[in-house]
Amino acid sequence: MIKRFCIENKMAYIHSIIKVSKMDFLEYKPQIENTFEQVRALSFEEKKASVFDEQKINRLLDKILEFKRTYTTKTNKINFLVEKIEEITWFNNLDEESLMSINDLISSIRDLHSSLLRQYVSLDLIRSKGIASEETKKFKAAIDDLKDVAADLESRFFFLPNIAGFQETTKELSLI
Amino acid sequence: MTIFCLEDFKAQFEKLKKKNSYAAIEGDIINYFFDKEITQLISGTRLNNSHDIPYIKKRLNGSGGFRVYFLLVIKDGKIYLMFLHPKTGSLGYENITDDSKALLYKKVLESIKTNNLYNVTVNKNKLIFKKN
Repeated sequence: MIKRFCIENKMAYIHSIIKVSKMDFLEYKPQIENTFEQVRALSFEEKKASVFDEQKINRLLDKILEFKRTYTTKTNKINFLVEKIEEITWFNNLDEESLMSINDLISSIRDLHSSLLRQYVSLDLIRSKGIASEETKKFKAAIDDLKDVAADLESRFFFLPNIAGFQETTKELSLI
Repeated sequence: MTIFCLEDFKAQFEKLKKKNSYAAIEGDIINYFFDKEITQLISGTRLNNSHDIPYIKKRLNGSGGFRVYFLLVIKDGKIYLMFLHPKTGSLGYENITDDSKALLYKKVLESIKTNNLYNVTVNKNKLIFKKN
């Protein structure tokens, strides 16, 4: 009798544990599922976001490369012009009309120099961020050369020939 | 081809060479002027009116480098280095005045007449100046 009572009690205890566990599970499940959904959604969003950021970075890098190419092309064009202008200094015995054309050319070079210098100044922010620093440095050097070559052209045809003794020195050198 | 220089060139070269920021100057001069045919040096800005004895201003080391003033006596294969200056840095300036260009031109004539020149050669990638 006592033994039977003990068995029944034990069974009742086990049933109560199972009942509590089932109740807990039912209570936690939605919370787990809810959290899972939140993680899944955020994971998806972040995955999308990282791809989106990569695209943004690629677009920015493309723009920087395009900027570099643009200024390299501009620099090459200026350097080409500088060489062409230098070649003019090798011309001899120019008539009045040609000298007038050279005078116009000097004005045009200076006008071009002003425009390019304004462009360079407008790149201040980009340069301060260290973007395309090599390209902008070469661009500035080419602009400076353009200014320099305009001054040289003016010296060669308008100023140096009028400095006392300059032409005589050329004559004397040819006799040595 | 024989290379000479004026005192002005030598003095300026030695002053610049002492500065670390102009360390490239010696190599640039050697690369541009030495082991070349004289006709290879006919480029840059010509400042006088002579095809045979051009007075040249040359930009060395690309943009932002040095400016060298020299005279070529093409028929004799002789070069007279007259002056140089950097465009940037603590000793740099953009250009020299027209009066200075004319004065250098007179000086080179006088120096040739009086043989007051340095003969410039290269030894172990260094410029050697020897008084004539």
